[in-house]
Amino acid sequence: MKFKDNIPIYVQIEDYIFLELAQGKLKAGDKLPSVRALAVELTVNVNTVQRALRELTAQGYIYSKRGEGNFVTEDEALLEAAKRKLLVSEPAAFVSRMEKLGVERDKIGRILEQYLQETDRGE
Amino acid sequence: MSKTLEIKDLSYRKNSKKILERVNLSLEAGQIVALLGANGAGKTSLMRVIAGVAKHYQGQVSVCRESDEDARKQYLAMTDNLAYFRDSVKIKDVAAFYQGVYPDFDQEQFEQILEFMNLNQDEKLGALSKGMKEKLIIALTFARRAKLYLLDEPFSGIDLMSRKKIVKSLLLWKPEDATLVISDHVLGEVATIIDEVVLVKNHSVLEQRSADEIREQNESLEEWYEGFYEGEE
Repeated sequence: MKFKDNIPIYVQIEDYIFLELAQGKLKAGDKLPSVRALAVELTVNVNTVQRALRELTAQGYIYSKRGEGNFVTEDEALLEAAKRKLLVSEPAAFVSRMEKLGVERDKIGRILEQYLQETDRGE
Repeated sequence: MSKTLEIKDLSYRKNSKKILERVNLSLEAGQIVALLGANGAGKTSLMRVIAGVAKHYQGQVSVCRESDEDARKQYLAMTDNLAYFRDSVKIKDVAAFYQGVYPDFDQEQFEQILEFMNLNQDEKLGALSKGMKEKLIIALTFARRAKLYLLDEPFSGIDLMSRKKIVKSLLLWKPEDATLVISDHVLGEVATIIDEVVLVKNHSVLEQRSADEIREQNESLEEWYEGFYEGEE
C-alpha cells in the first residue's frame, strides 16, 4: 500500500480497512491478520495499526476477542450501511472535483452520461 | 506511560569544541523515533553519549531510570560499525564474540534474523556488500534483548531493496515495549514507521513532534523537516 505524505497514517489504514469491508473483501465474522502481521504487510508501526483498529472498533466495524485477535462485526446491517456511506461519499468527491475544474453542477450529469455511453460503445 | 530515555540539560564538548549544548529529550516506551538533522549536527555524538561510549559530558542521561553509565548499558543496544573485525572473520565468529560480551545476546533470534536477511553464518565479513553488512549489523543489534535500540544511520549508502528489508526486520523484531531511535539526515523509508520525529540542529534538540500530528496539519514530514533549513542552501 502506498501512503499519502500529508494524511495521518492511522487515518489511511482506517480508510483502507473500511473500504475492504464495504467492498465485501472482508466479510462479517472474518478474522483480521494480527496487528504485527498487518504492520509488516503495510510497513507501518504497530502503534499506528492499533490506533486505526481502535477507531474502527469504536465505530463498531470490528471487535476483539481476548487472546484470539480482531474480527469483523457480524452486524450485516452495519456493513450494508458502510457500503451505502461510500455510495454517497464517492459521488460527492467526484462532484467536488468537477466543480474545482469549473464545471457547473447541472452539466455534470450530462458529462457523466456521455462518458458512460462512449465507454459502452468502446467495449 | 513510562520513560525509556530521559535527558536533562546535556552539554558535551570534544577537544574544547562545542558538540551538544543544553539538550533536553524524553522518549516513551515502545516508540519508534527518527533522529533527524544535517550531517555534523551532533546525532551520532548524542547517541554515543546515551550509549555511554562518549564520556565527560555535563547534565543527566537516564535509560530506564538508570543514570549511571555502566548500569544503563544493560538496557540499550547500539549499532556497531564492526570496524575492529578483520575481513577474514566469519559471521559466526562475530556472533560468538557478541555472545561473550553481551549476556542478553540471543543466538536463536540472531539466526532467525540472519535467515530473514538471507545471510549465511559462514560468510566472511570481507565478502559482504555494504547492504549485507548493514543487515548483519541490524541482526546483531536486534539479537540483544534491550529496552532502547539506537541505530546510527542504518540506511546510508545502501540499495533500496536492502533498505526495505531492514525496515521490515525492525517491525518484526522490535520488542513491543522497546524504544527504537533511528538517525538519518533524510526521512526516506522510515517515514511510515515512525511515531515521532526529533530534530537536531545548532548542537541541540530543536523540536520533538508526533509524526501523525504533523500530518494532521496537512503537512508532510518532508515539508516539515525542510522548513527548518529554508534559506540556508
